[in-house]
Amino acid sequence: MQNELKLNFDKIISLNNFSDSQKKIKQENFNNYFEKGLPNKRNEDWKFSDINQIISKNFDNLNFIVDQKKFFEEKDFPLDFEHNKISFVDGKLYDFDFKHEDKDKILVDQNLDLDDTIYQNTLLNLNSAFLTSVSKITIKKGYNVKKPLILFNYLSDGLKSSAINSRVDINLEDESSLCLVNFLNENSEKNFINFRQKIKIGENSILKNYNLDSYTSENIKYFNKDINLSKNSHLEYFILSEGSKFIKQDINCNLDDEYGSIALNGIINLENEKHHEIKTVINHKKENCKSYQLIKSVLNDKSKGIYQGKIFVSPEAQKTDGYQLSRALLLNESVEFNAKPELEIYADDVKCSHGSTSGNIDENSIFYLMSRGLSYSESKKLLTNGFLNEVIEKISNEDVKRLVKKLSGINV
Amino acid sequence: MDSRQKEIDSLKDYKYGFSTDIENTKAPKGLNEDVIKFISNIKKEPQWMLDFRLKAFERFKQLKEPDWQKPKYPKIDYQDLYYYSAPKSMKDKPKSLDDLDPKLLETYKKLGIPLQEQARLNGIAVDAVFDSVSVATTFKEELTKQGIIFCSMSEAIQKHPELVKKYLGSVIPTTDHFFATLNSAVFTDGSFVYIPENVKCPMELSTYFRINASETGQFERTLIIADKGSYVSYLEGCTAPMRDENQLHAANVELIALDDAEIKYSTVQNWYPGDKDGKGGIYNFVTKRGLCKGKNSKISWTQVETGSAITWKYPSCILKGDNSIGEFYSIAITNNHQKADTGTKMIHLGKNTKSKIISKGISAGKSDMMYRGLVDISSKADNSRNFTQCDSLLMGNKCGAHTIPYIKNKNLKSNIEHEATTSKISDEQLYYCNQRGLNQEEAVSLIVNGFCKEVLQQLPMEFAVEAQKLVGISLEGSVG
Amino acid sequence: MLSIENLKAKIDEKEILKGLNLNIKPGEVHAIMGPNGSGKSTLSNILSGKKGYEINGKVTFDGENLLELETEERAHKGIFLAFQYPMEIPGVNTNTFLKTSINAIKKARGEKELDAIEFLKLIKEKSAELKFDEKILNRQLNVGFSGGEKKKNEILQMSILNPKLSILDETDSGLDIDALRIVSEGVNSLRNKNNSFLIITHYQRLLDYIKPDFVHVLKNGQIIKSGDFELAKELEKVGYEDFN
Repeated sequence: MQNELKLNFDKIISLNNFSDSQKKIKQENFNNYFEKGLPNKRNEDWKFSDINQIISKNFDNLNFIVDQKKFFEEKDFPLDFEHNKISFVDGKLYDFDFKHEDKDKILVDQNLDLDDTIYQNTLLNLNSAFLTSVSKITIKKGYNVKKPLILFNYLSDGLKSSAINSRVDINLEDESSLCLVNFLNENSEKNFINFRQKIKIGENSILKNYNLDSYTSENIKYFNKDINLSKNSHLEYFILSEGSKFIKQDINCNLDDEYGSIALNGIINLENEKHHEIKTVINHKKENCKSYQLIKSVLNDKSKGIYQGKIFVSPEAQKTDGYQLSRALLLNESVEFNAKPELEIYADDVKCSHGSTSGNIDENSIFYLMSRGLSYSESKKLLTNGFLNEVIEKISNEDVKRLVKKLSGINV
Repeated sequence: MDSRQKEIDSLKDYKYGFSTDIENTKAPKGLNEDVIKFISNIKKEPQWMLDFRLKAFERFKQLKEPDWQKPKYPKIDYQDLYYYSAPKSMKDKPKSLDDLDPKLLETYKKLGIPLQEQARLNGIAVDAVFDSVSVATTFKEELTKQGIIFCSMSEAIQKHPELVKKYLGSVIPTTDHFFATLNSAVFTDGSFVYIPENVKCPMELSTYFRINASETGQFERTLIIADKGSYVSYLEGCTAPMRDENQLHAANVELIALDDAEIKYSTVQNWYPGDKDGKGGIYNFVTKRGLCKGKNSKISWTQVETGSAITWKYPSCILKGDNSIGEFYSIAITNNHQKADTGTKMIHLGKNTKSKIISKGISAGKSDMMYRGLVDISSKADNSRNFTQCDSLLMGNKCGAHTIPYIKNKNLKSNIEHEATTSKISDEQLYYCNQRGLNQEEAVSLIVNGFCKEVLQQLPMEFAVEAQKLVGISLEGSVG
Repeated sequence: MLSIENLKAKIDEKEILKGLNLNIKPGEVHAIMGPNGSGKSTLSNILSGKKGYEINGKVTFDGENLLELETEERAHKGIFLAFQYPMEIPGVNTNTFLKTSINAIKKARGEKELDAIEFLKLIKEKSAELKFDEKILNRQLNVGFSGGEKKKNEILQMSILNPKLSILDETDSGLDIDALRIVSEGVNSLRNKNNSFLIITHYQRLLDYIKPDFVHVLKNGQIIKSGDFELAKELEKVGYEDFN
């Protein structure tokens, strides 16, 4: 596979007209990957999900050069509300529509302008090496985007055994707001998807970001997010993780200035042999910031769920509030749930706590429901849905909340 | 204010930091087969024991020193250490306490551990380990009457080879991690305890460890076997003199509880922590592991860790027997430049196994405290339960508290609950205590003791009082 | 016993006390009344040595400069503050706290410390006197106590420590009528020719139970009027707004 990969990389370089500095950045990232390979379970961040093993088990060979073909557009997507949209095909910007907005307040652009970071994370090396463009969305200062923006990601018809890399940079300037939905439309065979988003939230700005992985697919996915919050900004983040065969969401939030706040909530709801991981790092860098995290998991069949969450509080970040809770229900004897809730604290005037529970469903509650006439499986369904619904209810955008309920079938 | 500072400084001084001027017999410096043979030979060990050591050494040569821990330390030159040091007078073993070198008796008296039995009123049997050898075991006769074996490891190898052969290395194999394997190769002495079937040990058994010689690594080995239906409570205390260099302490402790047996193991660790600038101090890299081998067995670890420059240990329980119980109660305090990376592992293998972890970490000064723990419930361990409570207290903002629990559940009939909090002592709490007449140090000690209460309650009476004082002393000068 | 001359205090650049004068002699009970924000709690905090204030003026206690002493040293000399909001200290048994406190004070005074039996005898006696449920003493200090329980606990501590000067900072706030009576009885039982009290309150109702010898009205950081108990009644009628 290594030789193949090198050929692919050389081809990418020769086919595209990259600037010398971009070539250099790409080459260095590629070299780092080439030397170290994919992370495996000896790497602390990948302790519970050995991506090296997962990739080699699922692919004999991976094709890194993707020709964009026609694609299937989902017509039944249950969107019953007005929205803006941007479409991507195979990770590249395809189309956008902001009919509800002031045109000069939103900029959408596409170019290749990688900063000169050579990542330690070799998946990001791969991403940087094979990107042919970076999509950029800017919300201008003082503008509140009226309708939710949905990022549809499509894959070319019949695409298989391909590695698809994408990078989207989003910049909310000061005093702006945006409701952003990330959605990947699955109509392909098995591929390896490596998407990165880099988001900056300006002063006094609000981002609501909903990440929906709901359609069953064979794809192996890695989503990487870096989010930086400026003074007095707010991030509402939501994850629905239930569709893919494997997905790891790697979310890094930096509270760069005072009075920032984050509410990060997620659902892992799995069946069959799916393997999903949510990993978060919340970096409290300055005083008076708050972060709240709630992750709930329901595991059926032979599935595997993982939550790794870290709250880091630097010495300057006095008066921090950091809270983290993970709860998991194990519904089959072959499932596995692993958690690593981590606190690393260097300031003394802080309130930080985490909690984690995992175990079975309360049989007394099932008995109670059955005594009211429900079957065992109906009772179980109702209880697990109720369990997960608590997280969905935290979604503040009513349209998106309705969408999530439809997609997940969780409605109690 | 100057006199107050002086008083604080003098209080902060490590009370046990004197050294005893005694002539030592040492093995040649360095680590090789000859040194291992020297140790084995001087202890007149049988061939199987030497083989055990050499096997471990073979394995050790292939191992790499781990580096994943948070506290980093300068590279240790394993060839530049003495692996055996014993007071010369121990060479021909004293037959009784009366024959002991008076200097040794004096040392233990200074430490508050009089070895003369007549001086003991509180009924604790003590095995005292000085550098590499066990110097005295008290109350032996009384214990022998009940069939209890409490002696030094060296003696057990000679007198009870069948027990040692059967159990030594059965919980910590010679193929374990770097430091444990090093210990298996070069351990010098330690305590051995065997409690026969259905015997409740009538008194607390205790070992007192002391590192005296310089440039010496202390590698002791403790093995405790509680046979069916028996009970034992074991206490361990540690001190070392103040020295500029760092000294390595890499002990192995193995506990085995058979059906319906219970072992309670308590540690008050107060090795020399180094001075307030972080110079010197003990590297306390210890492997402690208990096996609940039989059904309904129970192993309970309680530790109060206030000393050492670096503490790096995870007293663990392997819950193999059905219905077995593992417990871990810990207070770890770091001040000045001390570092600790400590916690536990609870491995649930049997059905209906239960474990409980209560960890209280306190960091002050420029120190760094880490709780690292693993709870692993296997797919066979039906109806098992774990509860973990992990609290950190920070004093000042130059120190750190880090909590990493690894939680693995593969059993739908089993439940894991984990909670952790981080807090500080508020100025208002201190003011309230001051207003009631307590000075700053007393107030801190009181509040911290309250924070640690759940763990202190687990200690046997005599130790609890000692530990409470230690908690206060180790934080002196850290606030205000 | 206590003498305050031209006391001024600032916190975060904000002037709260603006030249306060007060003299308390042994055996006297003084009440300071004032609206919210008049500086009542600041006064009690300064007398017991809370940090964070910028202070000017002179305060002596039994002839000694009080402002130079640490909080605990003032406690040793016999100053007791019943807190408006007593702190919760988790894990610390109320009994343990009281014993530590009383022995710290005794030690500082060069008196013999109490052993466990003497201490138990003392708290039994005092809690019976105050009709105070002893069970509360086995609970963690103030943790999960109701507002009334916390205040009663303060009065019990006061009666056990037997201070020369007791400062009650809005001890009546949040108390029902029964608790108010118990608290007042506790104070009255400690009244004698040596012990003095400084009662800080917003309302007159506590003063109906503890008849003060002197009443002072604190407004904008100064005592604007002093008198006897009649002044409290007058104040209740007129209100702080119109009182000049």
